[in-house]
Amino acid sequence: MANYDLTPRIAPNLDRHLVFPLLEFLQERQLYPDQDILRAKLELLNQTNMVDYAMDIHRAFYHTEDVPQDMVDRRAEVVARLKALEEGASPLVNFLQNEKAYQELRAEKQYNLQMLNERYQIGPEQIEALYQYAKFQFECGNYSGAADYLYLYRTLCTNSERSLSALWGKLAAEILMQNWDIALDELNRVKEIIDSKSFSSPLNQVQNRIWLMHWSLFIFFNHDNGRTQIIDLFNQDKYLNAIQTSAPHLLRYLATAFVVNKRRRPQFKDFIKVIQQEQYSYEDPITEFLACVYVKYDFDAAQQKMRECEEVILNDPFLGKRAEEGNFASVPLRDEFLENARLFIFETYCRIHQRIDMGVLAEKLNLNYEEAERWIVNLIRTSKLDAKIDSKTGTVLMEPNQPNVYEQLIDHTKALSGRTYKLVSQLLEHAQTQQAAR
Amino acid sequence: MASRFWTQGGDSETEEEESDYEQEDNEVPVEDINKAAKSKYLQGSDTESDDEDGQKRVVKSVKDKRFEEMTATIDQMKNAMKINDWVSLQESFDKINKQLEKVMRVNESDRVPNVYIKALVMLEDFLNQALANKEAKKKMSSSNAKALNSMKQKLKKNNKQYEEMINKYRENPEVEEEEDGDDDDEDGEEEDSEFEEDPSKLGMESDAEEDEDKEAGEDDANETGPGWEKMMSKKDKLMDKQFKDPSQITWDTVNKKFKEIVAARGRKGTGRIELVEQLTFLTRVAKTPAQKLEILFSVVSAQFDVNPSLNTHMPINVWKKCVQNLLTILDILTQYANIVVDDMVEPDENETQKGTDYNGAIRIWGNLVAFLERIDVEFFKSLQVIDPHTREYIERLRDEPTLAVLSQNVQEYLERAGDNKGAAKVALKRVELIYYKPQEVYDAMRKLAEQNEGGEGETDGEPKAVEESRAPPSFVATPEIVPRKPTFPESSRTLMDILVSLIYRSGDERTKARAMLCDIYHHALLDEFSTSRDLLLMSHLQDSIQHMDISTQILFNRAMAQLGLSAVRVGLIAEGHSCLCELYSAGRVKELLAQGVSQSRFHEKTPEQERMERRRQMPYHMHINLELLEAVHLICAMLLEVPNMAANSHDAKRKVISKTFRRLLEVSERQTFTGPPENVRDHVMAATRALRQGDYQKAFDVINSLDIWRLLRNKDSVLEMLRAKIKEEALRTYLFTYSSSYDSLSLDQLAKMFDLSDKQTHSIVSKMMITEELHASWDQPTRCMVFHDVEHTRLQALAFHLTEKLTVLAESNERAQESRIGGGGLENLPLRRRDGHDYAAAAAASGGTARWQDLSFSQGRHGTGGGRTGYNAGGRTYSGQAGGFSRDRTGQSRGVGRTYQTGSAARASQMDGSTRMVSLNRGAYA
Repeated sequence: MANYDLTPRIAPNLDRHLVFPLLEFLQERQLYPDQDILRAKLELLNQTNMVDYAMDIHRAFYHTEDVPQDMVDRRAEVVARLKALEEGASPLVNFLQNEKAYQELRAEKQYNLQMLNERYQIGPEQIEALYQYAKFQFECGNYSGAADYLYLYRTLCTNSERSLSALWGKLAAEILMQNWDIALDELNRVKEIIDSKSFSSPLNQVQNRIWLMHWSLFIFFNHDNGRTQIIDLFNQDKYLNAIQTSAPHLLRYLATAFVVNKRRRPQFKDFIKVIQQEQYSYEDPITEFLACVYVKYDFDAAQQKMRECEEVILNDPFLGKRAEEGNFASVPLRDEFLENARLFIFETYCRIHQRIDMGVLAEKLNLNYEEAERWIVNLIRTSKLDAKIDSKTGTVLMEPNQPNVYEQLIDHTKALSGRTYKLVSQLLEHAQTQQAAR
Repeated sequence: MASRFWTQGGDSETEEEESDYEQEDNEVPVEDINKAAKSKYLQGSDTESDDEDGQKRVVKSVKDKRFEEMTATIDQMKNAMKINDWVSLQESFDKINKQLEKVMRVNESDRVPNVYIKALVMLEDFLNQALANKEAKKKMSSSNAKALNSMKQKLKKNNKQYEEMINKYRENPEVEEEEDGDDDDEDGEEEDSEFEEDPSKLGMESDAEEDEDKEAGEDDANETGPGWEKMMSKKDKLMDKQFKDPSQITWDTVNKKFKEIVAARGRKGTGRIELVEQLTFLTRVAKTPAQKLEILFSVVSAQFDVNPSLNTHMPINVWKKCVQNLLTILDILTQYANIVVDDMVEPDENETQKGTDYNGAIRIWGNLVAFLERIDVEFFKSLQVIDPHTREYIERLRDEPTLAVLSQNVQEYLERAGDNKGAAKVALKRVELIYYKPQEVYDAMRKLAEQNEGGEGETDGEPKAVEESRAPPSFVATPEIVPRKPTFPESSRTLMDILVSLIYRSGDERTKARAMLCDIYHHALLDEFSTSRDLLLMSHLQDSIQHMDISTQILFNRAMAQLGLSAVRVGLIAEGHSCLCELYSAGRVKELLAQGVSQSRFHEKTPEQERMERRRQMPYHMHINLELLEAVHLICAMLLEVPNMAANSHDAKRKVISKTFRRLLEVSERQTFTGPPENVRDHVMAATRALRQGDYQKAFDVINSLDIWRLLRNKDSVLEMLRAKIKEEALRTYLFTYSSSYDSLSLDQLAKMFDLSDKQTHSIVSKMMITEELHASWDQPTRCMVFHDVEHTRLQALAFHLTEKLTVLAESNERAQESRIGGGGLENLPLRRRDGHDYAAAAAASGGTARWQDLSFSQGRHGTGGGRTGYNAGGRTYSGQAGGFSRDRTGQSRGVGRTYQTGSAARASQMDGSTRMVSLNRGAYA
């Protein structure tokens, strides 16, 4: 199932630190040999300052207790640098930690800067130091510290470029700390900036959007309301364009969100078109499933794809998130997806059939006969389906729903009288004003 | 002319006499000399001066010939007079008038030759005499009398023009003649300058001879010497004299001479080719590389001047030389990196004096990019003019690698010099050389380029050696540094990618747009439809193309055509159709693609327009095969339109996918007798007839018998795809047409009828059911489709018609009121339109229009709102398009850009930017 793994395509668009959770997940799923994943982790860590963690992994990787000298050196270096940065930022940090002093800040940045400069001798250097310090903290893996400092930095920062990167940092930190609500706020903030800011080139902007979308996957598939919001975000024209041009693999997540989210029908139709168009550039079982049901009307293939989808979902770090209930672990998204997918097939199937054999239906739905019958009865009861079961022959009979001709006629003519009335009144009005004018 | 001696004998000066003498016998001896010179020159192999010589000689003999002809005619007239034959006299008169024109043209003077005047006088006298003799007149035959009368009138009219001269002549015939002779002298001065120069020439001859001897070291030059001398223009000779001793040549003398020659440029009487030659000579004696460069630049621009006309191209040999010169320029520039070419600053007078040892930057005025573009244009023009079916054309095409190598070198130089903008422009030229070449042709060109190296070395070597021996060795030797052989990567795509990315980085808007179009074209050529479509949509070119220049618009159309072809090759019929249909909508596809001039019955073009159009034509080897294009377009239209027509048989005007196709179909249906198909159109029409009856096999056979398919690389797979599509559409058409005759229909039978798999049949039919094109549903246990009877009764149908009419009435009322009181009902306008749509959808009793609905809604707003607006959704859509087209027709070629406008309109409503023009018609399917 490794061929549907998107990690290699997603990872380049994530922050180094954000890749860890993905690797952890892969390790858990045993998709790749452990050694490979450990090596990948080690390579990742080499560029960060999380030296202790790197040492641990190194030990696990080589099965030794020794740590190479350069790692030890690097650790010392990192610690020293951390100290230095801490010192550089300390005046400001002290000031900010001082509750009373912090109250003096106002909404106006210029005022704040002036005030800091005059009263506390805190100049641009210190503020810059704060940023560096926060960044270093983040690189060391101290995400909460980084998040706090970055927040403070943003209140003082005047440079919009810097402010944006601080915001990205904050977002990453919040994601890594799994504070989904805050992360969502940050996400929206970043989105606003990206949409409003004028980028040097459109390409740049697209790239930023793609990053944002990748990062947002963490949030959306963990946040309660995420599935609606992912559609809201990804299905915006600009973002959909970005997906189509540079990151078609994100279609998987959008497709999944559409499947599990029933209330998005109007956009869904358009989305099907997009899938159709992008077939040449990206295909995976989930999009193929949709294509089978809504484009090709090939229900056997759809069913086949449905089974593959299950695998894909289980192996996807975002989709395959587990919910532990006691000692029973399940993947909620999988169940939901399958249920909805089944409904999709059934719905379409019913639309073009007059009479369906229950046995065939059960097979198509991936259920056994009894389950299928119960399922259909449920649908009929909740009046989602206008049908009857003929239990003697074991078939489902669809009720035809042709629109009544007379109703149609009435519909058409209904508006006419209103329009005519309005016309007349307008004419009269006009005539009156003309008379008045005369 | 001897008469002159009698009248004015004594006081004529000797010099005049001499010149007169010369003139009289100049015809023969000079001719001879020229001939001798020519043969000598042929050995000498300088084609340039050979040309020139040829021209001069021809001019002389032509003039001479005309003159003789005229005299002969006059003799004829005299004979006719003797026998009083007015008929032949009249003929002769017409003839002499014609000849007069020629003579005047040849002589380039507005002076009428004396002989002619004399003839006129003679004729007049004779005419008067004849008219006076009434008796003789009566005796004349009727034809003769008629001729006499008409002659009388003609002569009267004609003589009015020359009245003055005739009178003069009558006063003093001899003086006139003499004067004429003098005039001739003056007039002829330009051509005959040699004779005036005679004294100086005589002196120089020996000098030059010496020079020649010294250089060539041949003693027998004495004999050919004078002939050779005649060849050289006087300036050339002066130059030789000036520069005969290499040791005496200084920078100053060369510079002075150079300035002199350049100043003469463009002046009347300066031979263009001569100028080139003089300058070429100067390059050999130039003292510093910078000076040589400067002169070379002038040589190149002088070479461009050789052909002054916009419509004709530069002679090919000059072109080749020009390329060589440019390569030499590049050699120098590469060798001396400190020389900077610039056209912005006016360099110092003596900038070029700085020698090789000078370290600072030397600025030379010049613009390599402009030169290269000019070279390219000349190449293009020559291909336009040469008949593509001749060897000459192929020979000319062989020069393509030369151009490629030149542009490659220029580009490299510019990149080195940091002129990225210029480099991008040059890169565009290279892109334009290769974008239309499929891989096979590209490979052939590559091979040719490699072979050329061997062949060219030989042919080049010979003339060079001769040149060396004849001319003094140049002072500044320039080794060939820049490669003379183009380097092409394996695949054309790689090359395109390199060039195009360079252009995208640093080109200006137009360059980028053109490069993008070439890129799109090339991708499409390689069957990468989706890539090229994405490129097109992302670039938003279809929105801005109408603001660009015509040649770019043509390129756009070419790219669109290619895109359509590639869509069909990969099996996307609807996309292919939407790419192509607008090219064909106005029936001016030749004009839109610049592949020939199409005559329009309705509006005559002015000669100016025609000339412009000719100038835009694509050379033959770049053409997109029009037959293939037409076949593809019509087949697409057929596949879309036939089921569509079957679906809406009761209301044929509702939804028209391809107007062109409908029109053709109507024409072919009107024929009482249909013969076997001959052209593409007939074939498709025959296929259509078969398809409408559901006979897929026959339809395919007819299509298959077209012989244009051999033009496709993957012919078999395309035909296979077409076969599958035809089957599919035949099935759909069949169901649309005959569903009303069935109550139920088994899947197996259907599958068998159309030779499709069960699965495919099921899928197609299901799709039709879902979109409610077909009112039926599956009965799964028995594998049958059951048709529902939803056809309206007559009463119901009439009721629907009535409501429809009512809606139209209401709408027109509203519109009338709106126009009357203005804007009153505007706020509820969109709402109403929506109503109309719902209505249209429901009237067709098919949700199948659902997609069409929102689509045409957006288009409807772009519609110009013709008379039928509001009748139904489909109608409005197309009236909108028609508006677009009619606008199209008004602009000359400006309309080109409007192609695909409608596509983008629909797109704009769907997404903000890079969306799916091509998905437009997909709605009918999905």
